[in-house]
Amino acid sequence: MKIKKALLKDTFKEIKKSYKRFISILLMALLGVGFFAGLRASSPDMVDSIDTYYKNQNVYDIEVMSTLGLTDSDIEALSNIENVENVYGTYSRDGLIKTNDKEIVSKILCVDDVNKPILIEGSMPENIDECVVEESFLEGTDKNIGDYIDIEPEATESTGATDEEETEYLKNKTLKIVGVVESPLYISRERGSTKLGTGVINYYIYVNRENINSEVYTEIYITLENRDKYQTGSNKYEDYVEETKDKIEEIKEERENARYQELIDEANAEIAKAEEEFNTEKQNGETQLQEAENEINEGKAQIESGESEINSNERTANQQFANAEAQIEAAKTEVAQNALRLNNQKIEAEKGFEEAETQKAGLQSTLDNINNAIKITDNSIAEKQAQLEIAETEEEIATINQEIAELQATKQVYETNKQSVEAGITEIDNQIASGRQELENAEAQINSARNQITSQEATLEQTKNRTYAQIASARAELESSKNEIASAEAELETSRAEFNSKIEEAEGKLIDAREKVSEIEKAEWYILDRQQNAGYSSYIQDTESIENLSIVFPIVFFAIAALVSLTSMTRMVEEERQEIGTLKALGYNKFHIMLKYLIYSSLACIIGGIIGMNIGFQLLPRIIWDMYSMMYTLPEFIVSFNYQYSSIGLGLIYICIVGATLYTILKEVKETPATLLRPKAPKYGKRVLLERVTFIWKRLKFSHKVTVRNIFRYKKRFLMTIIGIMGCTALILAGFGLKDSISSILPNQYEDIFNYDMLVSLKTSLTDEQRNGYIEELRQKDEIQEVLETYMESGTAGKDNNSETVQIVIPNDKQEIDKMIKLRDVNTGEPFTLSEDGIIISDKLAELIGAEVGDTITVTTTDDVEKEIKVAGITENYISHYVYMSKELYQQVFGEEYSTNVLLIQDNNLSEEQQDTVMQEMVAENEVSTVTLTYTTMQTLDDTMNSLNYVVVVLIVSAGLLAFVVLYNLSNINISERVRELATIKVLGFYDREVYDYVTRETIILTIIGIILGLVAGYFLNFYILGTCEINILRFEKVIHPISYVYAVAITLVFSIIVNIVTYFALKKIDMIGSLKSVE
Amino acid sequence: MAYIEFKNVCKEYKMGEIIIKALDNTNFSIEKGELVVVVGPSGAGKTTALNILGGMDSVTSGDVIVDGKNVSKLKNKALIKYRREDIGFVFQFYNLVQNLTAIENVELATQICKDSLSPDEVMEKVGLADRKKNFPSQLSGGEQQRVAIARAIAKNPKLLLCDEPTGALDYKTGKQILKLLQDTARKENMTVIIITHNAAIAPMADKIIRFKNGTAESIETNKNPIPVENIEW
Repeated sequence: MKIKKALLKDTFKEIKKSYKRFISILLMALLGVGFFAGLRASSPDMVDSIDTYYKNQNVYDIEVMSTLGLTDSDIEALSNIENVENVYGTYSRDGLIKTNDKEIVSKILCVDDVNKPILIEGSMPENIDECVVEESFLEGTDKNIGDYIDIEPEATESTGATDEEETEYLKNKTLKIVGVVESPLYISRERGSTKLGTGVINYYIYVNRENINSEVYTEIYITLENRDKYQTGSNKYEDYVEETKDKIEEIKEERENARYQELIDEANAEIAKAEEEFNTEKQNGETQLQEAENEINEGKAQIESGESEINSNERTANQQFANAEAQIEAAKTEVAQNALRLNNQKIEAEKGFEEAETQKAGLQSTLDNINNAIKITDNSIAEKQAQLEIAETEEEIATINQEIAELQATKQVYETNKQSVEAGITEIDNQIASGRQELENAEAQINSARNQITSQEATLEQTKNRTYAQIASARAELESSKNEIASAEAELETSRAEFNSKIEEAEGKLIDAREKVSEIEKAEWYILDRQQNAGYSSYIQDTESIENLSIVFPIVFFAIAALVSLTSMTRMVEEERQEIGTLKALGYNKFHIMLKYLIYSSLACIIGGIIGMNIGFQLLPRIIWDMYSMMYTLPEFIVSFNYQYSSIGLGLIYICIVGATLYTILKEVKETPATLLRPKAPKYGKRVLLERVTFIWKRLKFSHKVTVRNIFRYKKRFLMTIIGIMGCTALILAGFGLKDSISSILPNQYEDIFNYDMLVSLKTSLTDEQRNGYIEELRQKDEIQEVLETYMESGTAGKDNNSETVQIVIPNDKQEIDKMIKLRDVNTGEPFTLSEDGIIISDKLAELIGAEVGDTITVTTTDDVEKEIKVAGITENYISHYVYMSKELYQQVFGEEYSTNVLLIQDNNLSEEQQDTVMQEMVAENEVSTVTLTYTTMQTLDDTMNSLNYVVVVLIVSAGLLAFVVLYNLSNINISERVRELATIKVLGFYDREVYDYVTRETIILTIIGIILGLVAGYFLNFYILGTCEINILRFEKVIHPISYVYAVAITLVFSIIVNIVTYFALKKIDMIGSLKSVE
Repeated sequence: MAYIEFKNVCKEYKMGEIIIKALDNTNFSIEKGELVVVVGPSGAGKTTALNILGGMDSVTSGDVIVDGKNVSKLKNKALIKYRREDIGFVFQFYNLVQNLTAIENVELATQICKDSLSPDEVMEKVGLADRKKNFPSQLSGGEQQRVAIARAIAKNPKLLLCDEPTGALDYKTGKQILKLLQDTARKENMTVIIITHNAAIAPMADKIIRFKNGTAESIETNKNPIPVENIEW
């Protein structure tokens, strides 16, 4: 069918003429589609963002952890599983960093190809002495890139027998901060808990993988094949992961056992080695001790022999000295005798000498005679010789010679005589001399003997002194040796004692080690996926809450949009009644006539819708993201144009608006042109019901009567105003109510239901004695007021096909549990007592699994023991699910002995700082595994809960927008519809203020009705929203505080006042003349 | 000085670029208690003059004096007060508030005036004592116009301005309305101005003002007004 040009032209002219109306419809479409598309897209956009982030950073799909660590053979085993693409073994550990007097705990992660952190600033740790931190780390510690930190990794509890060989987890513990990163593993503020410090991990840091010194992997991360096909969080993805997890589950036990066996073997080998070492050491020690003893004994013998030697030496010396002295004495006597003899000899010798002298004198005279004779001879010889010389003849010479020779011979005789005389003299002289000499010699001999004796005496004295000194020193030496020996003996004694104790200790250690080996618990694998990542799971949960909310809001908007366009279009059609009549009279068919209005409203709808979806897709997800980005760190928020939601949104709004138009116009075009050309009979005035109640009606002021009539006259407007205001108030009230419910969860749970301040988990390895001792010790502490012993275990509780994870709580004394945990009926508030009849379960659990008092539900413990137990009561509870059971019932049903593992503690009104101190003390105790402070739990949860406050903001803002649009629209329609009436009263001389009152009195009454209804609707809407956003583990208390009602009313009133002010000026502008001239 | 004086009144409307002179130097005067009929062709400026006189429109230049008060100089609030206390309007299309009964429509006016008449009495005067509890839709056109007149005179105004009061009525009814107006003027000594394009009824007036091309072309005083019932057209 050809659209007539004139009609089209008319349509566009109409738009230009009534642009206000066009815009108001357009705005409704814009708001409706914008809100629908934007809100609906927020959740997918958020999921999209995390999906992209996780894909880019190669975040794991499945994580495997083991209580005993993981090895390369585990990696290999996992690699062989179907669907598994990559398996990464990696490390993480908590570490303590001390900085500026603060102790902070950080998760130490290592940079890997999986879960890659994003570098924000600086560089990645290339060297083993480098690390990168998160942004808030720098803020929290006042450090900068380039600064150094010292980190002390947590010491592991040794799994093997030889704990003294504990190796350092980090090769390098002083690390230079080289960059800032964001980790996909920690998108929320939650960093987890630790045994270090206050028990809360503050930050994460990444180190170079090479810096880590660990035999086993702490985690294995698995990425799956073809995972790009699935979006994270989607059912398909989760099914796919679950399927693979099941396959891993199949090899789990085998791998657990393998690891356990490996450790046992290792430990046993180590023990054997240690034992051997111990034995040799013991042998050595014993030998050494023996040797030492021998030496001492030897020393003692030596001292003894030395002593006797000294004594005998002394004796010998004494003897010898006595001998020597006697000899000297004898010599002295001899010398004296010899001297005496010599004197006698001397006297005799003198006599002899005198005789000899006399002889000698006789001889001398003889000699003299001889000598004379010789001289005469000599003279005669000399004369003869002189004659010879004169003698000339030979005879004479010969005679002379003869004579000389004769003379010579005579002389010779003489000479011989002389010689003998002389010899006699000499002999006598010699005899005297020798005698004398002899005497002298004897004397000298005596003298020398004397000297000799003197010198001998001196020598003896010296020798004596020396000998005695020697003996004395030997004695002294001996004495010191004795002392030495004594101390050596003492030393030996202590060494022996030491050795014995060491041996004992070593033996003890060996025994301990053996015990430890026997205590090595079987490895347990934890197969986790992304949902166990705190940040990820709360993120996904938040996207679900938003998704739920995004269903409720647009419905309200669509409804309002439909109503607004219905009234607007009705008004338009009514205004153009005559035109329609004319066209009809001219012969245009219904379709052509309708087309104008359909095009008009379609254009408004489509233009508004397209603008709306574009704004909505960009704006709303971003606003919502802005709110959530306070809680989550994601590198990039991805906003996409969602064709599905945009076409659904546009379709819905099109149905609402164009549908409303069609409805109005169809009613009109059915009439005959004649009817249409006549002015439509004005709405008849009617008496209202109230007028029958004359006693009230009479009392009403005139203006009030008018108001009452008017209210009932315009039913459509009446309805719309009320619905609009109602919607507004309801949304605001729901918003605040939501806030009230959310903010009451924590106080309800942790102040009302739970009355303990600390939850202390004891180590499982404790003996009864240790445990009781420690509990007694705690009870004695001043800081502690009350201690409740409980056994806690996580498990599941289910009925039919529903099951939920629960915490099973069994108090040691069922009478005492109410001191720490209030068990009471949800509805009546009547307190419960635990009995053997059955368990008491928390209310949300009961609701989720559909259990009622008297039903039998299945309780499964951690060890997969499944038991059917009767429910004896349903108790009020707000966070998580709990199953309370009496000790007797537990032992009876599960057949296991009760043993305390968790202590609930009430302190003596300690401050938070004091609680921290107490906690640190406790954590340091050997018996304690972890300590959880209620106030920190509350703080952590509080942060999470606060995020829901953003929902409230969204609610209030959208409610405001809604109220404004609706009220403004209505006020416009109201004025245009009644312009004649208003002009009349203006002509009558109503002041502006009176005209305003005349109109707005109705609006005010309708607003009040709307508000009242809105409060009721809000009350239910609140419940509905609570129902949709309620997370499984939380129960929202269905409470709205009185102040919230006040807020809801006040905010609605503010919006309507704003609109009324606008109305006031619109009324002032009414042109009396123009309005009154025309025919109605 | 006359009770009402129009002195050199000009009124111009701007329609985009074009300036239309609705009133061009109009002068006339009316005495207190006079019944004035204003006649003239469509677009001659009758209604404009009446609107200005009624305080519904402003002048471009000139003065409008009513009972010594220069209406043309009044500010918004004073102008409303003037309408409220001194003026009664009757329109061609009655302009009753549909949602109010006949008497309530009258009350609508009286409740804002100080010296108003009793609504019941006025209803009696206009001859609708027995229909006063009816809604406009339950009344005939003439009856509705009576209610409109009742509403106007109940305020006890100085001036009763009627713009084509019979324009939508049949001859007989129109005559009754005109009679009511004439009687009101006579009995209440009220100044009544009636606009009509029907020159035939002019004899009923004390003064006849003829408009043409935006100005009062002639002002004629009728010494012997004829009662309406005697006029035929």
